Amino acid sequence: MNADGPVVNVHVLFFAKSRELANTPRSTVDVPTEITATELLDHLVSKFGLTSIRDNLILAHNESYIDNLSDRILFKEGDELAVIPPLSGG
Amino acid sequence: MDHVKLVNDPIDIAHIHQLLADEGCGASSVFVGTTRDNFQGKKVLSLAYEAYDSMALKEMNKICSDLRSKWHDLKHIVIYHRLGTVPVCEASVVIAASSPHRSEALESVSFAIDQLKTRVPIWKKEIYEGDNNGEWKENKESIRPKKSKSGFNYAACPCKVEESHDVPRTLVQIRVNDAELTKRLECFVNRKRDEINSQNVVDFKSSFVSSDKDLSDSCARTQSTIIKQEQSNCHLKVRRVNNRCGPQQMEMRPNYELELNKLMGSRDGQTDPTKEMRKSLPNSRLQAIESYMGLTTDNEENIFSRIKRVENRLLQLESISPEYKHFTKREPSSMEAAPPKKIRKKSYSVQELSAFIQKIKNVSEFI
Repeated sequence: MNADGPVVNVHVLFFAKSRELANTPRSTVDVPTEITATELLDHLVSKFGLTSIRDNLILAHNESYIDNLSDRILFKEGDELAVIPPLSGG
Repeated sequence: MDHVKLVNDPIDIAHIHQLLADEGCGASSVFVGTTRDNFQGKKVLSLAYEAYDSMALKEMNKICSDLRSKWHDLKHIVIYHRLGTVPVCEASVVIAASSPHRSEALESVSFAIDQLKTRVPIWKKEIYEGDNNGEWKENKESIRPKKSKSGFNYAACPCKVEESHDVPRTLVQIRVNDAELTKRLECFVNRKRDEINSQNVVDFKSSFVSSDKDLSDSCARTQSTIIKQEQSNCHLKVRRVNNRCGPQQMEMRPNYELELNKLMGSRDGQTDPTKEMRKSLPNSRLQAIESYMGLTTDNEENIFSRIKRVENRLLQLESISPEYKHFTKREPSSMEAAPPKKIRKKSYSVQELSAFIQKIKNVSEFI
């Protein structure tokens, strides 16, 4: 991750398998105000040791799914990120 | 009204029915998902649900508004999901809807459970017999990341059409429906057939048909042409087979007999039809038969008439006596002129018999 712009601190929530791998249900992370989803995912995966499930993860930003990993995301201080493995509700 | 809830206690179905009740509703549909005790042959000891609470409720509400936009008459919608440990055979999720008529209720509930499994961030972990770690289940309908495994960013690539591989440039793609395709094939087949037919005519047509006659009504087999009847005022087309080869056209073929005899005769390559040749022809077989039967031979005569004469002779002789052949005379004319008379039985009267006996007596007296 390149720190070529302002950086904000956001909350990260982990669920299911990702929580077991990260060893915590929530944490915080510094992210640039503008970043592509792929880079964000890579950063989270490397920081929290989620490599084994990387290809099945979806991210949610402020309770909305990030559908395309090529999307650019704009962060504000205190935003909420969630690491979401494949669902098994119902 | 929309009732969306995450609960930690057993779901109260009766309460949900109360939530659905409405005077204007004739139907309510309730889906209950319960926990199973087995998965792929493994026995489930316990299972537990966890959720991203705030987002789960948000997604469940989105489902409700989706339902209302698709099915306008829905009255009440209930989506309850249980979290934490759920014992086997208890309800983990209840989705219900009520509406004036049943189709909306039934369809909307079915849609809703599919949507829940796809979008709502809830996870289930199952612990199996003999396995302490447990397993996080994954719905096959669950949303998945869209990128490919290789991580390649297709969106960043400019679009370039590869034309150089696979399809040869000599091929053309035709996109038509089945009916059109069948029609085209049929037309092609017919055209090919006509082509072959006209080729046949050209290949097989006889030389004595004038080539500038219209051959469109001809095929190689009949060689038919249109001939207008002379002095006919009729405007109908008369079609006559102009077949110069058949036995019915004998008068048009004066040399027919000759040609036929040629066929019957020698194949030693002599093509000159002179009398000399005919004499030396080994119609000798027929000659032998004729002489044996006592008939005159005439090589000039039509071969069929000769054979016919022999046949007639045979029939005649057979009718006379089956052992005729031992008594055949070699003078045909006399034989023909005076065929042996049949012996007729004579019936005698009594007086004739008496006279006859008397004569014999008289004769015997002399001896």
